[in-house]
Amino acid sequence: MLFSSIPFLFYFFPGVLILYFLAPEKLKNSVLLVSSLIFYGWGETKYIILIVVSILLGYIFGILIDKYRKTPWAKVFLWLSLISGLGALGYFKYANFFIENFNAITGLGVPFLKLYLPIGISFYTFQILSYTIDVYRNDAAVQKNIIKLATYVVLFPQLIAGPIVRYVDIAAELESRESTLEKVYGGTRRLIIGLSKKILIANTLGQLCDIFINTKGKSIVFYWIYGISFTLQIYFDFSGYSDMAIGMGKIFGFEFLENFNYPLISRSITEFWRRWHMSLSSWFRDYVYIPMGGNRVTTGRWLFNIAVVWMLTGLWHGAAWNFVLWGLMFAVLLIIEKLFLGEALKKIPGLFSHVYVSVLVVISFVLFNATGLEGAVSDLKGLFGYPGLPFTNAETLYYMRSYAVVLIIAIIGATPLTKNIGMKLKRNGFGFKVVVGAEPVILSLLFILITAYLVDGSFNPFLYFRF
Amino acid sequence: MEKRNKSLPGIMLIGVLWLTLTLASWFSAPKEISFSERRKLEQFPGITWDSVLSGEFMEGFEKYTLDQFPLRDTFRTVKAMNAFYIFFQKDNNDIYIADGYAAKLEYPLKEDSIRSAAQKFTYIYERYMKGKDNKIFLTLVPDKGYFLAEKNSYPSMDYDRLFGIMETNMPFAQYVDITEALQLSDYYKTDTHWRQEEILDGANTLADALGIERSGLEDYTKMKADIPFYGVYYGQSALPLKSEPLYYLTNETLEGAIVYNEETGKESKIYDMNKLGSRDPYEIFLSGAAALLYIENPKATTDRELIVLRDSFGSSIVPLLVHGYKKITLVDIRYIQSDIIGDYINFDNQDVLFLYSTPILNNSSSLK
Repeated sequence: MLFSSIPFLFYFFPGVLILYFLAPEKLKNSVLLVSSLIFYGWGETKYIILIVVSILLGYIFGILIDKYRKTPWAKVFLWLSLISGLGALGYFKYANFFIENFNAITGLGVPFLKLYLPIGISFYTFQILSYTIDVYRNDAAVQKNIIKLATYVVLFPQLIAGPIVRYVDIAAELESRESTLEKVYGGTRRLIIGLSKKILIANTLGQLCDIFINTKGKSIVFYWIYGISFTLQIYFDFSGYSDMAIGMGKIFGFEFLENFNYPLISRSITEFWRRWHMSLSSWFRDYVYIPMGGNRVTTGRWLFNIAVVWMLTGLWHGAAWNFVLWGLMFAVLLIIEKLFLGEALKKIPGLFSHVYVSVLVVISFVLFNATGLEGAVSDLKGLFGYPGLPFTNAETLYYMRSYAVVLIIAIIGATPLTKNIGMKLKRNGFGFKVVVGAEPVILSLLFILITAYLVDGSFNPFLYFRF
Repeated sequence: MEKRNKSLPGIMLIGVLWLTLTLASWFSAPKEISFSERRKLEQFPGITWDSVLSGEFMEGFEKYTLDQFPLRDTFRTVKAMNAFYIFFQKDNNDIYIADGYAAKLEYPLKEDSIRSAAQKFTYIYERYMKGKDNKIFLTLVPDKGYFLAEKNSYPSMDYDRLFGIMETNMPFAQYVDITEALQLSDYYKTDTHWRQEEILDGANTLADALGIERSGLEDYTKMKADIPFYGVYYGQSALPLKSEPLYYLTNETLEGAIVYNEETGKESKIYDMNKLGSRDPYEIFLSGAAALLYIENPKATTDRELIVLRDSFGSSIVPLLVHGYKKITLVDIRYIQSDIIGDYINFDNQDVLFLYSTPILNNSSSLK
């Protein structure tokens, strides 16, 4: 079930809210657990058993790690937890990718497995692993109540597309939390903003990307419009989803950490990755990069560590070579910045550093969205003009005009400009009253508008579902 | 306390709105049909263990909630208004408005589709008409984009190329160009079709080629249908477009003509007034889509016969040719296999007219 859908917004979510707020304190986690399982089962009936088994394994290994702490067995159980979690992820997500490459190298014809990717497996696997690793490291207390642990893993606001919430960050709230009027309003505001980002901006730009992909009338300008549109689409799609997750979490009394911090205003790729999908990059930093030695090793090993982490980041996004290349592209850029460009980027005028980041990020997302390696090469050639590709054409100009306003809104919306204006207004007494008075009206109008778009439209993919 | 008070009005406003829509979704009686979209609406899906496990129930439920959402048409209009007037998008669901006319983006030219249509028509010719005494004609009806798109900077397909491909690939047919006899005002503002009362020039161009008498407006009585007509683009665009009058031309010959539907076995008149209350009032012309129709003209002073292979544009222009024939057979190969036409029609010595609109040729996979 998509958050941005009529069944979710007008059937499931209101139903859960009613039950949740009517339920006594001690049953609130159970209400969330059962409703989250229904939410998951709605879109993934077949693999609901997989998530249940994954939770049970995480629960058992957590207890065993804690019980045998300070003995070699703790490490054994940690490894078993890693193997079971990553094993399931590897099997469902990467088995056919492995077979495809094995066949290509050996010339054999090993048949593909009849598998499809269970929704959200990359997210919930990483959450369970963060729990068992943190228990092993003694960074988190073991959870002996399976309902609480299961609620943490399957909590529907963040179950299928993140952010990757770490157990330690909400452990206290699983025990006791409060839903105040302020939190409910704040959460609702965040939810509506997230829905608006997803439905009004990301989906509209997604239509433009689809038009581009399906047209035969491509041009160099159209390739760039596509690159910019897809970059903005994926930003508004994913950050909108994170806003919805954070907002719904807040309504239920949880405080999830932020996942995006205006990444498209970054002045370096290093800064970009401090602002983009923060829960994923910090997960890789804390559970892969630092355990490998981080930067406190020889230069050669350090560069190797960066390359491994970013190759894995690429692979996490999808089992295809273009994702690997996408990850490695960032590894190379980050290494170049760390070794050579970092200081220079701080000194040059902001305009140049923004252009530098924007161009590279657009190119990276063209690579990201390509269909396989061949498609990636073709799309990258298109950005720079292959022989016979016109600079522009009538179709390009038409769609540029047709989507100009949405693109401008998206570009402005990707900066903190609106937020800063709102905050400035709030500092002034009269402005504060205007903002506080107008906000519910604006949110209500946005809610009507997103409902209208949902009722009318059938174009509503969630890009991060495939991860 | 102060913060709580500040949150309360917001929660109340959004909460009441959300709850109202939620309760209306839960308790509204489901509707059968959407008149604006001209389609049946999804009904609540049956629940079985298998349908839940396969996800079929969930898929059906999602369609049901979309189709049965309260104030669905109003919400669709809100979306269209936002797309056009806030986002300044040039089209909504591929429908654009230019010079007061709603039209569909018909772009790009799909040459494979055009060639496939020409091959299909060639197959029909070779199978049924080759070596016979049939006189064969081809007429192509441009959609509104022909007059609107390029002029208003919308993507426009290469119509000359389309006409050229059809003419070149159907050398057995005499091409009758009616584009010069048509103009934008000959079409409905909210519908894909042309207005019967405005296409006499086109009909006369055809009449000249077919060798039958021309007719003028004075030969008919112009009747106005007793309903406000909203064309197919009204529902698709979801914009608050104005209705327009629907006229039809009649006279004694047309009043006396009998239409026989081979599929249903029913007889009717040229103009089927029962269709005025249907989802598509344009269906008053020959009762709408049909695989095989015969029009008998008891007042004919000739034995000539005409076979028209056609799409829905044929329904309104063919009545303007009835006076020249004793019998007209209309075939729509979107609803009947080309292979079995010969079971119903003996091709011999009739005039044969291929009359197709550009959107059908550009999306010709529906031709059987």
